[in-house]
Amino acid sequence: MSEPISRRDWMRMLGATGAAAGLGGLAVHPDGGAAEVPRESGFQGTVVDPNATQATASCPTLVNGRVIQPQRELSVLHQTDVLVVGGGTAGVTAALAAKRTGADVTLVERYGHLGGLWTGGLVLVVIGHIVKGGKQVCQGIGEEMLLRLDKLDRGIVNRRPGVNPTVDAEALKYVMVDMLAEANIKTFLHCWGVDAILEGNAVRGAVFESKSGRQAILAKTVIDATGDGDVYAAAGATFQRCTYSLGLVSRIGELDKVDKAKADPNKKPRGLGSVTPLAGVNWVNMTGPEADGLDVAELSRLEMNHRRQIWKTVQGIRATPGYERVSLLETAPQLGVRITRLLQGVQAVTYADIQAGTRYPEVVAVGGSWSGERTEWQIPYGALVPKSGVENVLAAGRCISADLRAADAIRVIPICWITGHAAGVAAAVAVQDNCPVRAVDVPKLQKILKEQQAYLG
Amino acid sequence: MRLARAGTDQIDAPASASRSWRRWAVRFACLAAACGLLVPAWPWDAATLVVPALSPYVAGGAALAARTVSQVTLLAVPVLLIVLVRRRWFCRFVCPTGLLADLVGRLRGPRAPRGSKLPPLGQWLALLTLGGAVVGWPLFLWLDPLAIFAGFVHAWGRGPGWVAWLSAIGLPLVLLISLLVPGVWCARLCPLGATQDLLAWPMWKLRRRRPSETPPPAAWPLTRRVLVAGGLGAIGSLPVLRWLSRGAVPPLRPPGAVAGSLFTALCVRCGSCARVCPSRLLHPDLGQFGADSLLTPVVRYQDQYCLETCQRCTRVCPSGALRPLTAADKPHAAIGLPRVDMSICLLGDDHECAICCNACPYGAIRLVFSEETYLNTPTIDAERCNGCGACQVRCPTKPDKAIVILPVT
Repeated sequence: MSEPISRRDWMRMLGATGAAAGLGGLAVHPDGGAAEVPRESGFQGTVVDPNATQATASCPTLVNGRVIQPQRELSVLHQTDVLVVGGGTAGVTAALAAKRTGADVTLVERYGHLGGLWTGGLVLVVIGHIVKGGKQVCQGIGEEMLLRLDKLDRGIVNRRPGVNPTVDAEALKYVMVDMLAEANIKTFLHCWGVDAILEGNAVRGAVFESKSGRQAILAKTVIDATGDGDVYAAAGATFQRCTYSLGLVSRIGELDKVDKAKADPNKKPRGLGSVTPLAGVNWVNMTGPEADGLDVAELSRLEMNHRRQIWKTVQGIRATPGYERVSLLETAPQLGVRITRLLQGVQAVTYADIQAGTRYPEVVAVGGSWSGERTEWQIPYGALVPKSGVENVLAAGRCISADLRAADAIRVIPICWITGHAAGVAAAVAVQDNCPVRAVDVPKLQKILKEQQAYLG
Repeated sequence: MRLARAGTDQIDAPASASRSWRRWAVRFACLAAACGLLVPAWPWDAATLVVPALSPYVAGGAALAARTVSQVTLLAVPVLLIVLVRRRWFCRFVCPTGLLADLVGRLRGPRAPRGSKLPPLGQWLALLTLGGAVVGWPLFLWLDPLAIFAGFVHAWGRGPGWVAWLSAIGLPLVLLISLLVPGVWCARLCPLGATQDLLAWPMWKLRRRRPSETPPPAAWPLTRRVLVAGGLGAIGSLPVLRWLSRGAVPPLRPPGAVAGSLFTALCVRCGSCARVCPSRLLHPDLGQFGADSLLTPVVRYQDQYCLETCQRCTRVCPSGALRPLTAADKPHAAIGLPRVDMSICLLGDDHECAICCNACPYGAIRLVFSEETYLNTPTIDAERCNGCGACQVRCPTKPDKAIVILPVT
């Protein structure tokens, strides 16, 4: 071996020997299963710097009892064409769309997984993509994700025309990672977008907090896919501030072990939820009380209350004859924040327009209904663009421009992916044409969206 | 029986051939005009209203019962003035039901029974109704021939099906009677015709007479009839209605409907409200809600609701059973109130749904969260709700709706 061995290779080799050692150390348990024998850790660590300190010059200081943040220069982590803040349904779709349109894209996500509320929030059911008659109107990249899930074992269930399918969160996290990696999109996880970077009234990037500290990413165009409109709000766009029902979803398991002889089919316990692709596993929704999803005290209080309530509900299930073996598998990693900020855009989607199925020449997305009760309705490009004051930022996902009742139809998964798709292509077009996002050539945008299999009516 | 003779046998006054020809022309023109006004081809709802509102019988009975004179009532005034001077003028020239009954009767030839020995039932009906109207419950307003005619024409627009045909049954019945006993409907049964006969008596005393006219009826039998029939109507109408509607669940009525059994008394079953309803919510009751409610309009929510911008049904009611509403009145004209069945409601098992809240045009439904049950319940603000049914028609539960509009009791 003439080449020096890299650290990664070292790790791999160590892992292999570790595994071999582990196998060698297996003992047979009385019940027939294998049990691990305690042993010295085989993991590898290195003291990188024995005497490290961090600069404190930029630390906030107490001045007369007030916390003052000194002026400081931030390190620029990265520069890109299109920066997508938020790696949820809208953000991942937007990143993929912008990349396919030819832009250099960077995606940042505050959690360690992708998919946001679709995966981390356990909003596993896909609703809002079908119309009266059963036709699926939300297509494009989101549908591509579903097609990939189709090919996976237990990736998705109830995939029939006119029916709302339910995905497996882990399968979808995998699909999203796979798609981003294939598209070679620069992705930063564990990176919480906390501020917009302004030049005049134009957004030129965003600031992130992570374990690496406070850093900047500069971009030609920014897509706010935070769900809460964190970036456009920080940049000074006007918005409606809303409170809305706020819950916490969970999954329960071992429903296949319900004793049918003991269980009374007419007296099912509350909170059994709905099917998932995994046998005996259901996801359980929670509507929750109306609350302010931007108030950390409120979020903390509800997270704690909800966890206690979920436990209580599962106890209620277990106390029901026949259901004793049902177990709580997990509570969602992300709290179910539905609606917080709604952009005041160039155009707004209104509930009346959704009901009337208003058609727009600037249509960039077409939505359906939760149970096929409605005909299709349209989202115009202007609903993604701030009305005034701020340039260079587009909204995608549940925080686009709408009235509160319309937002209830917009906040669901398929609508997030179609608005993400539109925002991604629009941002890339703005970069290509070197124009502000509000001046994007909408017919061109529509043409590219259609080429990328989006349905526009 | 002199009055009866006076009122009945001579509807067709002897006339010259040319005058007779002209009369037939006028009668057919009026039939065509009535059909023309009633077909749903006009941008003005008033067209629907004109035909049934021309009847002085309906206008008078309704105005007396409701103690109000509306603009609609005034439509009948010219007719009233003419028939005061020229007895049965309306029957001879205008009435479309009369013309059709006459034509059907002629199929039988001259030897058919004429029913001239029958007592003047129409006068009894008119007087009972008048007496009832004095105490607020006009019993037989719905026998008005113009309302019967309108009901028949409107039923055509209601599409196929036995409900439509049943709601149109009035005119076929009149024609059947006229086929069996030609002329008896107009002469002996029709309360509008009888009203004209009754009005003719006081006028006889007042105006110049022509030699060809029948001599004046004796005062006493008429006075006796007025007292007996009117008195019976006044004393008996309400108990009769109460008895007919006993035990029945109140139905959902169109917005602006007058309360309770007064509605069934005032409604002339002309079908105008059902005809103009853009949401097609109004259907003739087939007796589920009591015998007195037969063929009156009831609200049934299927896939449309009572639009917040619409007051059309209330503007075409010829008898005031529906008060004319303005846009400002509409939110307060309650059809009913929703009730939520949490055992069906998706929120009862915490499934994602706020469709009723979003559908409500008046913002009257809010989700109320209970820390106790940790569930949200759609809760109705009765001050804001007018029972328009938007929540019910959009409610996604099947087959039964979790939110249903029920009558206000």
